[in-house]
Amino acid sequence: MKNRLRVLRAEKNWSQADLAQQLGVSRQSVNAIETGKFDPSLPLAFRLARLFDMTIEQIFIDDDSS
Amino acid sequence: MYCTNTAAARRYRARTLFATTHISCRFGVSLGCLDIVIRRGAAVYLLALAPELPIFAILAIFGIYLAEEKDEFIRAVLVQSSLWATCVVLAFTTFWSLLQIYAPAIDLVLKVPMYWVFVLWCVSFAVAQPLVQRRYK
Repeated sequence: MKNRLRVLRAEKNWSQADLAQQLGVSRQSVNAIETGKFDPSLPLAFRLARLFDMTIEQIFIDDDSS
Repeated sequence: MYCTNTAAARRYRARTLFATTHISCRFGVSLGCLDIVIRRGAAVYLLALAPELPIFAILAIFGIYLAEEKDEFIRAVLVQSSLWATCVVLAFTTFWSLLQIYAPAIDLVLKVPMYWVFVLWCVSFAVAQPLVQRRYK
């Protein structure tokens, strides 16, 4: 699933390791989510949304909705 | 686990090291005892079970680790790796069993004891982890 995580992270000037630490996951997890090759679970998606003060839909792009 | 340093992974490594040490010691002792005990009755079963129990423990430790690991990506990699390892073991043991039937001469030359199956699973599991993780890069 496509997402804006890399852009949002860059705006905050965070490294993948910084974001991983705040989420309580590994850096590999953040990388896999950013590349769109691993879809996070709903609880992790909510954690990401809270961290960036956004909704899940603003971070993740649902390809089927268009 | 592969390149991970979560609290659950550290606990898993420590527990596995403990269980593996037990397997090695118990296996050595049970092989050594074979020459001493009479090879019949309950003693043989107990000797065979001695190194087997830590193997159950290792599999249980892996299950506990999967339950304790909070990182869902690592969990996904581990589950996929264990499936690959199981596939390799099932494919190889089936192939080898058929080879024993079709070409008994090979079995006489390369007699592989069944206890190598678990070792094969562990090696396959270790090899599969970086390969599975590479798919996500």
